[in-house]
Amino acid sequence: MQVSSRIRRSVICAAIVAAGAVSGGAWAQEKITVGALRFTSHAPTFIAYERGYFKQEGLDVELKFFQAAQPVAVAIASGDIDFGITALTGGYFNLADKGALKIVGGLFAEKKGYKGMAIMASNKAYAAGMTSPAKIKGHSVAITQVGSSFHFMTGMIAAKYGFAMSDVSLKPLQKVGSMIGAVKSGQVDAMMMVPHVAIPLDKAKAAKIIGWMSDLGPYQVTTIFTSTRNTAERQVQVKRFMRAYKKGIADYRAVMLNQKKDPAATEAMVKLIHKYVYADRPYEKAAPGIKAGAVYINEGAALDVGNVKKQLDWFKAQGLVKTKMTYKDLIATGYADMFDVPK
Amino acid sequence: MPEGPVPQARSVAFRGGGFAPRPVGIVGPIVFVTLLLLWELGSRTGWISALILPAPSAALGALEDLYRSGLLFKHLGASLERLVLGWCLGTLAGIGVGISAGLFSLARAGVVPLVSAIFPIPKIALLPLFIIWFGIGEASKVATIFFGVFFPTVIAVTGGIDNVDRGLVRMGQSFGLRWSSVVRKIILPGALPAILSGFRITASIAIILLVAAEMIGAEFGVGAYILMAGNLMATDQLIAGVAILSALGLGVGWLIGRAERFLLRWRG
Amino acid sequence: MDLHLSHVSHRYGGVEVLDDVDFTVAQGHIVCIIGPSGCGKSTLLRLIGGLEKPSAGAVLQLGEPPADSRNPLTYIFQDFALLPWRTVRGNVSLVLEDHVLDQGARAAIIDDVLRRTKLSEFGDAFPRQLSGGMKQRVAIARALSVNPACLLMDEPLSALDSQTRELLMDDLIELWSREPFTACYVTHNLGEAVRLGHKVIVLSRRPGRIREVVDIDLPLAGRSAERASLEALQERLWRLMREEALAADQELADA
Repeated sequence: MQVSSRIRRSVICAAIVAAGAVSGGAWAQEKITVGALRFTSHAPTFIAYERGYFKQEGLDVELKFFQAAQPVAVAIASGDIDFGITALTGGYFNLADKGALKIVGGLFAEKKGYKGMAIMASNKAYAAGMTSPAKIKGHSVAITQVGSSFHFMTGMIAAKYGFAMSDVSLKPLQKVGSMIGAVKSGQVDAMMMVPHVAIPLDKAKAAKIIGWMSDLGPYQVTTIFTSTRNTAERQVQVKRFMRAYKKGIADYRAVMLNQKKDPAATEAMVKLIHKYVYADRPYEKAAPGIKAGAVYINEGAALDVGNVKKQLDWFKAQGLVKTKMTYKDLIATGYADMFDVPK
Repeated sequence: MPEGPVPQARSVAFRGGGFAPRPVGIVGPIVFVTLLLLWELGSRTGWISALILPAPSAALGALEDLYRSGLLFKHLGASLERLVLGWCLGTLAGIGVGISAGLFSLARAGVVPLVSAIFPIPKIALLPLFIIWFGIGEASKVATIFFGVFFPTVIAVTGGIDNVDRGLVRMGQSFGLRWSSVVRKIILPGALPAILSGFRITASIAIILLVAAEMIGAEFGVGAYILMAGNLMATDQLIAGVAILSALGLGVGWLIGRAERFLLRWRG
Repeated sequence: MDLHLSHVSHRYGGVEVLDDVDFTVAQGHIVCIIGPSGCGKSTLLRLIGGLEKPSAGAVLQLGEPPADSRNPLTYIFQDFALLPWRTVRGNVSLVLEDHVLDQGARAAIIDDVLRRTKLSEFGDAFPRQLSGGMKQRVAIARALSVNPACLLMDEPLSALDSQTRELLMDDLIELWSREPFTACYVTHNLGEAVRLGHKVIVLSRRPGRIREVVDIDLPLAGRSAERASLEALQERLWRLMREEALAADQELADA
């Protein structure tokens, strides 16, 4: 009795596997490596991985975790991994200048009505009158590094409120932790910060939120990218990767961008993300941070091409990126929707 | 003499020699130049991709740009100021504490375990605390170098004093020399060789820590320049910056060599 | 000034090193102390000079040292104890610098002692440039410069080869003949003892006790001519010491 049931079960399993293989195409699973950071903004990667969307596309994905975005770009340029997510930084552009990297889609973007990056003032600066982003002129701003996205955001604020970069003094402190420390202790006047850190800081009266980056206009913060070789030689594979990834994005948008609609689904997704983000904390402690960190992600991995061009031009104008490249050389089209494309 | 055929004479095989390094002055530069040439050649032929390592000529170009822009001396000046200040203060404090630990049992009992406990802590790990203690201005940068220099100096000075020939101290005491004279004329000169070789190490540590020190909100400085180049993936500038540090190290090493030759000329 | 050792005993922890040593060093005399190794000769010398305190008994100065003596009890060490970073002049100068002397007076003293030790030409040399014998002459010059009331010499010739030792002994005798000095001379070399001592004190093995005191009445300067009587004396001292030396040799260290 026992034996026959085991046989029956294995026959069913074999049938399912065979059916899966046929529906996914007649090819064997292709091995690819995806670079990831343990941030909520990388959640679609984890969703697509956990829910088997990559497998359905015939991709055997291995996740490789990094501490910072830049090494991911270096690893893709050197061919060690296949796909990654990164903010557009001076380092990224200079690396792309060597011709090894292509952006294939957009991910995290600032959009009005959604909590993205917060603009914060130290209590001291706020008390002295720095109560809005326009008043950052003449103050110090904490950034991680020269050429980082924090540097660019400072540039966005300067452009929006009509002052020059020389009107602020940038304090590169290497680490987000050091930025927070410097603003908390009042040694630096302003910084930009991810929402799930900024809001608790503001609540604890350790610093003050004086504005949101989403109020300053569109900003394509992170993009999905791969190696130039993949876009030239393995277009089918890139397409399959993007198809799976978009499913992850769709799931994310349906639940995380409207968390109140279906609390059970939210709970399930936060649990899934918690396997990768804040995994060192118990679920109860990690959940609020994961929920608060659920930033806006473009539908269908659409890419704001106009904003990518704007970022490249700004880095060139600042002398941080020396290249003859145009925004067109940065992007490989045909894998996701492109919008706001310059004429 | 025993009778018999005369034994055959043959010279004893030489088996000495070796283990005595002699100065071969020309080899160093030849190795250096050859490596550079091979590197340049590799880059030009595309055997070494620009992504992996920029050509030496590209790094030289970056250095030239830096010089033309006038920023070279601004970076160097800012770094030298931090180095000199941090090293001098750390050395002075280290010598002071090292002498007390070398001379007084009570100071030794207090200082030596403390130094052993704190010396191995990477100063970079303490950067966030340094920001809170010393701010993000010059003080935290100088403090980083100060702490890097202070502990090895204490160790060098204490060790140097320990190794002073006790016979010489007894001689001084037997002639009724004042305590201060024994310290000044016998113990300190006796510890000087160890202190000077400590300087070689602490000067290198100071240069190593320069990059760490300039992680904290530095606009100018060779370390800040290297960090910026790294963040921007500007590898030619990175190599140029590292070359500046290297030259700085050579310069400091040369200066200490001169000081040693002058102060320790009695060694011949 | 005479020195008197009054029933001096000394112990390190539980080990008895010296037991009831009692003798006098008369002014202008050289007293040689001999004994097998480990008998406490060097300890005795450190006690006399005040570098260590005896466990029992006392070292007494009888009479005042000369008024111009800057360091009445002055040592000469086996290993010379010269500062390698100072020149010959600098090494002599070291022991004068803590005394109130003007530049000229100090230079005059240095010139004088260097002349007496035949080192005038080597004033600016560093110790590393000197032979062992010259180094010990520098140490002697340094000792003379403070006008000692009594020289405490701890195996001063042991680190030198035998020819140099002969030459230096002649130098010491010449120095003494011109201007007699008082000295306690510790040695394990019987030849040195019979050449230089007015009195030879033979110590037993540990704990060191006085086995015998031998007075030698021959004038120092004429002794090299009296080989036969010196040989006999040396033989007698050796007989006294032989048993002790043998026993000391077979003792385990720290046993």
